[in-house]
Parts: sequence; structure tokens; C-alpha cells
Amino acid sequence: MLNFTLFKRELRANYVVFLIFVGVLALYESMIVMMFDPQLGEMLDQFAKVMPQIMAAFGMVSVGSTLIEFVSSYLYGFLLLMFPMIFEIIVANRLVSRYVDRGSMACLLATPNKRSKIILTQATFMFLSLLSLIIISTAMTIAFSEMMFPSALDIPKFLVLNVNLLGLHFAISGICFFGSAVANSSKLSYSIGAGIPIAFYLIQMLANMGGKLEDLKYATIFSLFDPASILKEPGNLMPLFILCAIGIILYSSGILIFNKKDLSL
Amino acid sequence: MSEIVINNLTKNYGSGKGIFDVTLSVKKGEVFGFLGPNGAGKTTTIRHLMGFINADKGSCTIGGLDCRTKSAEIQKTLGYLPGEIAFMDDMKGMDFIRFIAKMKDVADLTRANELMELLELNPQGLLKKMSKGMKQKIGLVCVFLSNPKVLLLDEPSSGLDPLMQNRFIELILAEKKKGTTIFLSSHIFEEIERTCDRTAIIRNGKLATITDMQTLRASKQKTYLITFETDEQATAFAKEGFKLSSVTSNTVAVSVKGDVMPLINAMNKYKITALDVKTQTLEELFLNFYGKGENGNA
Repeated sequence: MLNFTLFKRELRANYVVFLIFVGVLALYESMIVMMFDPQLGEMLDQFAKVMPQIMAAFGMVSVGSTLIEFVSSYLYGFLLLMFPMIFEIIVANRLVSRYVDRGSMACLLATPNKRSKIILTQATFMFLSLLSLIIISTAMTIAFSEMMFPSALDIPKFLVLNVNLLGLHFAISGICFFGSAVANSSKLSYSIGAGIPIAFYLIQMLANMGGKLEDLKYATIFSLFDPASILKEPGNLMPLFILCAIGIILYSSGILIFNKKDLSL
Repeated sequence: MSEIVINNLTKNYGSGKGIFDVTLSVKKGEVFGFLGPNGAGKTTTIRHLMGFINADKGSCTIGGLDCRTKSAEIQKTLGYLPGEIAFMDDMKGMDFIRFIAKMKDVADLTRANELMELLELNPQGLLKKMSKGMKQKIGLVCVFLSNPKVLLLDEPSSGLDPLMQNRFIELILAEKKKGTTIFLSSHIFEEIERTCDRTAIIRNGKLATITDMQTLRASKQKTYLITFETDEQATAFAKEGFKLSSVTSNTVAVSVKGDVMPLINAMNKYKITALDVKTQTLEELFLNFYGKGENGNA
């Protein structure tokens, strides 16, 4: 099913990128957790009253007084959407379309490995690296919270929030992986893999500003991940289910198209 | 027994590009040349044999297995050298060779080491820092390390210096002795001439002919530039009845097809100060072979 030699090579080729993203997340997560202070929350609430649209655009709506509300608003409205997304865009492109674009895919296919095995290995690598990033990120935030504000974080609820985040990134990485698998050039791969998620996020920013623009939330994948309602209703699994379905469809159609298409190597 | 069979293979890229109704077969143990100018469709044909692209029409098989659907099985006994080599640039040379050996399930690196010695290759350092010739050598090591039974080589000696080109030809001849089937594409006649039993000539995506080397060699014309001591001698020689390409003061250019003995005998009568051989380009060879221009349809 999978080729472990190739998997190991991808580990070696991508661990630096992975560590950079872990580092950046560690930096922001520790800073945000450190900033938590019930009094500061009130101050930020006042900011939100003064300029509601700007704060809303970045998903920072209701700054609650609990640590989980604070963290979900400041980390899960922008930073944990953007950074893993950039990671997915970069890694997805490196896993498939870069090899095709440069021609080195020929080296991989000139071995007794089926195309399906190669692409399945790359898809698995994409998913596992994303899974590791989210797990490490979750563990880091829990660790920072426990260090600075012992037992202030509602850990079970926080885990549910992160499972939903994983679902969102599974779907986004599906877009990136699909783009990388179907494109014959890195340019086209980036247009699909970066263009679509970024467009979705811009639509989300507009939709967050409310008013007439609110209907735009139906045109973006990001409205399937709403931290506030996840915390309110942790049992509602419908958005997570839809995100996973999107991810599965995109990954599998990327794999199927890659198996069938002409490779100009 | 045919090892490689290509049947009516067609891939149309539009505006005359692509390959059209290519049919040929290569016998087991044969060294088969695939000769054509740049853009004639050599690489497109090889891409089909590698299963990289889907044919519009027709099919190709290696060892009886369909190239598109059974490529993984075919690759177990195949060695492929791409025309334009692209590696994982972030890897070191030796790591890459080990990586490819593992991908091919080859645990024993004896053959790889033999080749590195033969090609005088020291694969230290990053691949992206390597010259074209170095990369070509690494590509060749990757081709041979699994002791393949069938070789697909797309312009194999490009980028190698003359010494290494000779080593490469020795390598091919040694493989030929072992009974390896070799399909070798080139736009250089000499590369094909020294190794191949038969050769196909492709032009504008269409197979022009398949011929054995003797016939091709016989039709190959060489031009000799003979410089005489005096202009008078040159004028006298011009009347000997050879096919002349040009006469300029004391230098005569003579074209000879096949047997050169008559020319040598005739030259004996004169005092000659210099003799140069001008080898034909592939285009001139085509011109000769068909007696038509390069753009004329064969």
C-alpha cells in the first residue's frame, strides 16, 4: 500500500518546514495564553464595542472571561487557521506537483512502484504531518495553560475544539493536495492549493462583518468551523462530518486523477 | 521473440506535434536505435513505453505486458534513463543512489559501485551543485544498479565528455553480450552507429524507416576535404569523375558513399598536403537517405 522508503525521504525533506511551523505556533500560543487576564478581557470587550467590524473580521467577537473562550477567540479565529493552512499549501506542493514540474517524478516511477502506491504514500504523508502539527499545537497550548494558569483550561472542551480544527484542516489540505495532484506545473498547483483557501478566508472575513454580507458565510468552508458555537454545543458533529466528507472526496479524486493523467516527464 | 512491441501508437498534441501510427518491434537481446532530430517524437514514444502518458490510439508492450497498466511490473526488470535528468536536488549524490536502490528493492550495491568506478564518479556533495555530466553519470548508475533485462535510454551520452562517451559505448556493448535488450534514442548518428543492430528513423512524429546498420552505413556519405600542393593538381583531380561538392583554389571537397578505395587509389597519383573528413549531420543523412529535403514527406 505505502512505500516506506519514499515516506522516510519525505520526512527528511520536510522536517525543517515542520519545525519552523511548530516554532511559530509555540511562539504565538505561549504569547496568547500569557496575555490571558480576566481584566484584560474586559478591556478587549470595550475595543470590540468601539470598532466591532474590524475585530469581527478577524473572528474576535465575544471575548469571554474564561481561558478557553479567550484562547478560542484569539488563536482559533485567525492564527490556527492561517499557519497550518500555509503549511498545507507548501507541503502539498512539495509532495506531488514539484516532482512533476521538475521532472523528478520520473525517478520515482522508474521503479517497480505503481503510481497509485506513490501518490497514496504522499497523501498519507500529507495527512499525518498535518495531524502531527495539530496534535503538537494542542499539546503545547494545554501545556502553556497548565504552566501559567493551572486547571483554568477546560481540557475536554478544548480537545473537541481541536478535533474540529483538524477536520477543517483535513478539508483545506484536501484542496491543496488535489491541486498538487492534478496540476502538471507548480504554478497551477499553487493557484488551486493557495488561491482557493485564501479566497475562502477573505470571504469569511467579509461574512464576519455582518449585515448583508453575512450570507457570504455559505460560500466559504471556514464557516464550518465556528469556535464559539463549538464551545456552546460541543455535541454538534454536523460541521465536522461535512468537513471530513469534503476532505475525503478531494483526497480521493486527487489520487484517482493522478493515476489516470498524462505526465509530461 | 519480441521484447518491445509498439503497435500503431498515436499521440496527437495538435499542430503536427506528437507521434502518429508508430509501429515497431525490438527482438530480445537486440540493440535498437531510435534516430531522429530534436522534436521528432523520440521522447514521446519513450514516455509511452514508460507508461507516463496515455495513447490516443494503439498500444505498446514490454515483455508482453501493457506499458500503461502494468508499468510497475515492467519496471522490475527495466532500466530507464530520461532525456532530461531531474533528481531530488536537495539530496546528496550517494544518498540518492541508495534511495533509488531501495525504491527498486536492490539491497546489493556491488553493481552500482562497479559503475561508479567505470564512470569515475565520486557522488559526494549535493545533486543541485553537480554538473550535467555528473548528473548523467548518476543517472546511468541508477539505470544499471538493478541489472535490468531491458534498457530504455533517451539520449544517454549527452553531457558526457568523449572519454566517458567511449566508456559508455563499452558499457552498452558489454550489456549486449549479456543479452540485454536495449532501446536507445539519439539525434547523433555516431552514438547509434557503434552500438546498434537495427535502427528506426523518426521524423515529424512518423516512422520514416527501420533499417539494419549496414544499409544505413552504406547510404551514409562522407565528405573529404583534400588539399593539393598546387591549384593545377586540384583542377586535374576534379576531372577524375568523383562527386564534387566544391572546388576552391587548391582544395577539393569530394563526397563518397560506401566504398572509399577508388578515392584512395585516385589520390595516390597526386601530392596531397592535407586531408580532412567532414562527417554528415543527421539532416544531411536524411537528405541522402531519401534524396529529399528535410521538410519533404517521406
